[in-house]
Amino acid sequence: MKHFSLRKLLLGCGALALFILAWKLVTDAKLVSPIFFPGPERTYAALVKGLSGGAMLSQTLETVQRMLLGWLLASFVGVFLGALIGVSRRARAFIAPTLELLRPLPASAMIPIAIAFLGFSDNMVLVVIAFGALWPMLLATIHGFAAMEPRLYEVSAVLGLSRAQVIWKLALPSAMPMILASLRLGLTISLILAVVGEMLASRQGLGQSILAASRSFRSPDLFAGIVILGAIGLVGSRLLSFAERRLLRWQAVNR
Amino acid sequence: MVVTQLSTRPRQGEDNSTPTSGEARIRIRDVTLSYGSLQIIGGISLDIAPGETISVIGPSGCGKTTLLRMLAGLARPTSGSVELDGSVLGGPNRSIAIVFQDYGKALLPWRTAAGNVSLALEARGCPGAERPAIIRELLEKIGLGRHADKYPAEMSGGMQQRLQIARCLAQEPKVLLMDEPFGALDAMTRQALQDEVLGLVATTGATMVFVTHDLEEAIYLGDRIICLQPNPGRVGRVVDVRLARPRDQLLTREDHEFLRLRRELYDLIKDDHQ
Repeated sequence: MKHFSLRKLLLGCGALALFILAWKLVTDAKLVSPIFFPGPERTYAALVKGLSGGAMLSQTLETVQRMLLGWLLASFVGVFLGALIGVSRRARAFIAPTLELLRPLPASAMIPIAIAFLGFSDNMVLVVIAFGALWPMLLATIHGFAAMEPRLYEVSAVLGLSRAQVIWKLALPSAMPMILASLRLGLTISLILAVVGEMLASRQGLGQSILAASRSFRSPDLFAGIVILGAIGLVGSRLLSFAERRLLRWQAVNR
Repeated sequence: MVVTQLSTRPRQGEDNSTPTSGEARIRIRDVTLSYGSLQIIGGISLDIAPGETISVIGPSGCGKTTLLRMLAGLARPTSGSVELDGSVLGGPNRSIAIVFQDYGKALLPWRTAAGNVSLALEARGCPGAERPAIIRELLEKIGLGRHADKYPAEMSGGMQQRLQIARCLAQEPKVLLMDEPFGALDAMTRQALQDEVLGLVATTGATMVFVTHDLEEAIYLGDRIICLQPNPGRVGRVVDVRLARPRDQLLTREDHEFLRLRRELYDLIKDDHQ
């Protein structure tokens, strides 16, 4: 088991090494002007400089904080509302068409509205993130509740569980696999919207710093920012799948 | 519409606690059930005495499971009523436990064996500090003592059905309803569980209604056997089982009376199929 996961890790690193090698070959051959497309060494140098002394570290923390706050907000609101709607068939029928209308709206299209109400503020960006990242959690919770094994409702009726107990002890755990998968999706959306929000509302953070680097032809800084964003996404997704494996141990034994 | 009114009958060997017909644990009064114009149950009346074990048999589509669901309060009779200890049953009741055939769907896959039993204790507001001891005792009683930390997916079908029975016992029910609980299990496991259930019913004094399509199982477990007839479901015959308790998988099944009953029921069911 351990041996296997080590091999998988090595395989994954191999692909990454190949990717960096291809990057290096393309830039060394100067297929694209170095002004726009720096090689891996220059990107790495900018990364080290930015994180050790430059402003990049604080910008990264800003962005991560923004992403996490928006994601947490979206998760709580999404799961809470989803539980309220999902627990009753009537509520589902009542609200589902409206949700289907709102859901496909690109969250970035909401930014002008958010700016109109909240101005160019951190809160505005937060609201946009929360709105955009809300949908996966909301819909997963509703569907998870609706998909609960009907037999379990009968079991809960015979045992005399209260409505709150049914939600807390039966519906939520049975929807948990779907909710956890949606949390991962929501985190990705949060990161995207944090960056877009920073770019549009010029708030402190990686989004803004990438935009500034691009406008002043500091392409190594631009690429360093992108590498950090990638790393944030990777770490976040890894942490969540770790949590998923812990919380869904009961599922793992099925396989 | 056939209506059969039955008097209760004392369980053999317990003649001193003979219940009068006024003390029925469950009284089914002229119950019918229809979905639209389709009548599923067409008038069933039956009294079940405390501590009695009733087997219900009949061809498929005769309403065995529907009858059991009405006793559990999960289905509402279209007319007539089901009474528990003299009061009309309005819905599910903690005093009436039901063991479903599909144990895989009735258990919580995300809870261990102990956690599944705990659900029944949580439902009846048993204080957290008392739960572990009760859970241990129940799992021990049903032969799952060493598997308290296993998830249902890690258990065999027989173990999962044991677990469902343990959870039902945690309800401390007066009535135990069983819907073909061993139908999906192999013969050896089924016989072991039959004996365990008989032991549990004897020690707890619970009243049991056991739905099965297995004639021998019906005879082996029951004090009385209710044979249902289909279209719509109604009581065809009621057969008393005069076999000594405790019963034994070999001796009871070789008993002349057992074989006679088996023949009688077989002929009865065969007639229904023709």
